[in-house]
Amino acid sequence: MTTNSYLIKEGYNNLNKHGSKTISTMLIICATMLILGIFIIILQNVNQNVETLRLEQGLQAFIEDNATDEDVAYMEDEIKQIPGVSEIEYMDKDAAYEDAKNQFKDQEYFLEGLEDLDIFPASFIVKFTNIEEAEQIKAEVEKIEGIYNVKYNADTIDAVISISHVANIFLLGVGTVLLVVSIFIISNTIKLAVYSNKREIFIMRYIGATNSFIVKPFIVEGAIMGIVSALISFIIISIVYVYLYASLNSSYALGVFRFIPYSTIWYQILGAYIILGLFIGIFGSSISLKKYLKA
Amino acid sequence: MIEFINVTKKYDHGVCALDNVSLRIEKGEFAFLVGPSGSGKSTFLKLMIKEEEPSSGKILIDGKDITRIKKKDIPFLRRKIGFVFQDFRLLYDRTVSENIVFALRVIEASEKEIRTQLKTVLQMVGLSGKENYYPNQLSGGEQQRVALARALATKPPILIADEPTGNLDPKTAEEIFKTLLEINARGTTILVVTHAKDIVNELNKRVIALDHGKVIKDDARGVY
Repeated sequence: MTTNSYLIKEGYNNLNKHGSKTISTMLIICATMLILGIFIIILQNVNQNVETLRLEQGLQAFIEDNATDEDVAYMEDEIKQIPGVSEIEYMDKDAAYEDAKNQFKDQEYFLEGLEDLDIFPASFIVKFTNIEEAEQIKAEVEKIEGIYNVKYNADTIDAVISISHVANIFLLGVGTVLLVVSIFIISNTIKLAVYSNKREIFIMRYIGATNSFIVKPFIVEGAIMGIVSALISFIIISIVYVYLYASLNSSYALGVFRFIPYSTIWYQILGAYIILGLFIGIFGSSISLKKYLKA
Repeated sequence: MIEFINVTKKYDHGVCALDNVSLRIEKGEFAFLVGPSGSGKSTFLKLMIKEEEPSSGKILIDGKDITRIKKKDIPFLRRKIGFVFQDFRLLYDRTVSENIVFALRVIEASEKEIRTQLKTVLQMVGLSGKENYYPNQLSGGEQQRVALARALATKPPILIADEPTGNLDPKTAEEIFKTLLEINARGTTILVVTHAKDIVNELNKRVIALDHGKVIKDDARGVY
């Protein structure tokens, strides 16, 4: 048996030796991870729904009536060059009338007789890559010669931006608190484990064990607790999400909100859990061992 | 092998545990360190394994000034010095052989070394055949032999025993000393802290007496 495999085995034996403490610590880590997972899922769903909303937003730049085809081509080029513009679509007067007809589907009588009056201006529909640059892009478009008016739905855009900001800040805050709590809990468990192994540690130090030799089994113990908790939490959260997705997404209970398919987020959750599990386990053990590392 | 040069150890609370102590123990020597409680014996041992730092002076182990070695090298200093305690300090949830192998794991010995050393030290302390016993199944004397075997497993050139027979009856104590003499005969330098007056007087070995932190007697063939 190599030294490393011996130390891993010792770490695993420690888990068994501290049986009930190990289980209660893992339960608490699982609970923390589940709460964190719920927040990750909420955030991902909010972000995805916000993203869909964002993509639907854009601005409409109206073109002066006397613009020639060359003018239109020039304006289109100018708009394309503005940073942050993802897509541009030209809507001529006929298309504008069709669009109006679509909007007044049930009250088409409003539009009766307007067809020949040439009152619907041609325009560009401009989409952005980043909604937060909307204000700036609007200002740039307004400067272009031949554009006489730019409209966009400022309220919706502002709401979309603030929803995603609040959600992100909230998750970061909750995440940080949960992380600190988890590290605190695991470091306490390891502290108890170290305490119950203090005879071994004392002997090891007298025999001439290096610090890393003393510490490794506890790090392994913490890491195993973290990883196992991560996997248990992942299984639980996967089952719950898939069930909710199947039962709620097809109903109208959620309004315009739609759950995103689990296939698009499972790896993020698993990855976050494993990284977090390892981090909590290893960091939690390290801080509780510090005082035992004096020579 | 072990040399203290003008070593003084004052604790923060003002107690002077060792006061300008200078002495030298040669390679292969067997010496007793005696003195009343509080005379500085424990501090002397702690300084040797760098569990404590001297306030002034030099301590040479195997020719090397250990007051100047780096923290990361302390484990390697300790591997040169086997330590036996009055209360054995065994791991009671492990068998005799597991207790001994534990020490060999700590110094990262190979599997082959572990096997041969285990056999050798069990024989040396007279515990062959008891390797699968748990410490609680053994007598006090046998437990101290396990502790001795553990200390010797890593082949340290120096062995320190702090009151090794303090918890044992006189007959068992005698047997332990007999084993210590055999170990010494194989070349290991041995320093024993003890109150076992009769045995010290009987063995006729070097006796260093400490009192109030000073060496008050150092006889090559002394008595308690």
